[in-house]
Formats: sequence, C-alpha cells, structure tokens
Amino acid sequence: MAKLTLDDLRKLRDEKKQAMNQRDAEGKTAQVIIGMGTCGIAAGAKAAFDAFLDEMDKTGVTHATIKQTGCMGLCFSEPTVEVKMEGMPDVVYGNVDEDTARRIVRDHLKNKTLVSDHIFDKPSTDIIKD
Amino acid sequence: MHATLCDLIMDLVQNSVEAGASEVELTVRETGKQIAFSVKDNGKGMSRDVQAKATDPFYSDGKKHAHRRVGLGLPFLFQTADAVGGRATVESEEGRGTLVEFRAAADHVDLPPFGDFAAAATMMISQAGSFELRIAREIDSDRYTLSRTELEETLGDLNDTQNLMLMKTYICSQEEDLRKAG
Repeated sequence: MAKLTLDDLRKLRDEKKQAMNQRDAEGKTAQVIIGMGTCGIAAGAKAAFDAFLDEMDKTGVTHATIKQTGCMGLCFSEPTVEVKMEGMPDVVYGNVDEDTARRIVRDHLKNKTLVSDHIFDKPSTDIIKD
Repeated sequence: MHATLCDLIMDLVQNSVEAGASEVELTVRETGKQIAFSVKDNGKGMSRDVQAKATDPFYSDGKKHAHRRVGLGLPFLFQTADAVGGRATVESEEGRGTLVEFRAAADHVDLPPFGDFAAAATMMISQAGSFELRIAREIDSDRYTLSRTELEETLGDLNDTQNLMLMKTYICSQEEDLRKAG
C-alpha cells in the first residue's frame, strides 16, 4: 500500500460517502458497544473490534455504529459486547471472540436472529433458542 | 495478563480518557535495541497516596465497581517490565495529570509481541468522549504522527464503521511506510 496523506483519506471518505448515501438512506439503527477495560483488552477486545469492522465492511452492514466503553463489570465474560438495534431486544453478548463477532454481524445485525449461545444477559427466555 | 505491548498501550490510553483528560500524548518508539512508550495526560491525576497503591493489583478506588477489589491495568505494566528487566514509571500530580513510561530491551526473550498497532490506534482514537489524542510513532529516526481531532475533521463521525475502516487503512499505510523506512 502506498503511504496515504490526510488529503487522500479525505478523498477516499468522499468516495465512500457517495456510495453509502445511495445504498443506505435510512441511517444508523444499530449500536455495537465493546467493553475496553483492562479485562476486555486482556481477553481480546481488539480482535473482536477488528472482526466487527472487517465483517461489517465485507457484508455491507452500514446501519450500525461501533462504540467503546470501559469495564462493564462483567470481567469474567469478556470480551463483552452490547448490541442495541431497532426491532430487537437489547442484548449483552459474552466471550465474544473473533468468530462470534462475525456471527453477531451476520446473524444479529443482518438477519435479525440472536446468537443465543453467547448471550450473557438474557432478554427473555421465550425468545432464545437453546 | 496482556498478550501484546499494544494491549498495554491501549490500557494506559483508556485510563487517561477515563481520568477525564482533554489532552493525551502517546509516544511509541522502537530502535533495534530498545522499545519504549509513554502516555502523558492532563487528567485528574493521583495523590501521592493513591500513586503508591496504584501498582498493587489488589487496589482499586472502588468507585467504578464497588465490590471488585482488584485493579490490574498498571500492575500488568509493571509485571511485564519486571519480567523482561525493563522499567516502568508513573509520575502523577493530583489535578494536573499523569505520565506513564515503559521501556525494555527489544530482544528480551520474554518481551510480549508488539501487536497490531493500526488496530490498536483505531480503537484508541475512536473511544467515546471529546479529547485530543496525539500519537507519535517512531522507528529509529523515522516517524509519523496522528491527531484524533485532525482525523475526526477529515472523516467525520468516529463511530461510523466505514470511517473506522478508512482510518485503519490510513494508519496501516503509515505503519507500512515506517517499517519499510526503518
């Protein structure tokens, strides 16, 4: 890769933005919140963050934003990721490694089904499949 | 324990942001012989008393999680420094800010791998809050710098995944260039 300048970056952004506006006008309807305390970092929050970015880019998921927070107090289930999305219950996923992050993008964000085996905070027993 | 040096760095920057800093300066310097990094912030700082306890893994101010009696961020840094015959230091003044420094020999067998700096920087820069993070990355006499404010002005919303992807590509290109030069 050639070394980019800030101007190159600005141009790339404008190109992407045009493509994005055509594809998606409805805006952001989902939030992915990744815990980034000492516990999260030690458990691999960076790998999860990276996998989220990569999978969203690959699968064309543009309706979600990524945010970070400190320790959520669930150190034993890190990396911990909260997903909020319109039309879906708020869910906290635990032990989110790279693969799980990719599944959350495909199943939860794209196909609107929960990744049941990684749900930490169960929203309600009747909507989870064992 | 943190798997890479980048994880240690991320932890320190996260501490600074959580300490309410509006300015954070991160320097990461590699030479053939040594690897060193420092994080300087103008956050709330620590009193002498707290500073003395901050490297104890069984100390936490107890404000964030009332029943959790551990705090492992700085202890991980000191443990790593000890394990590789390196040095970690913390200087802090209450109300003024904190400076944390780490350095170690680059060839020590127990030194954790450096890690993926582009991904770490993307994560550090896109943390919530309004603060300036300046990163100076150096290998030998070559360097590049990043500024959070500048990247935000260039890209816009730093929670947008497309923008984050672009930022990572940008930082990757700087890293590659630096490695080639260095």
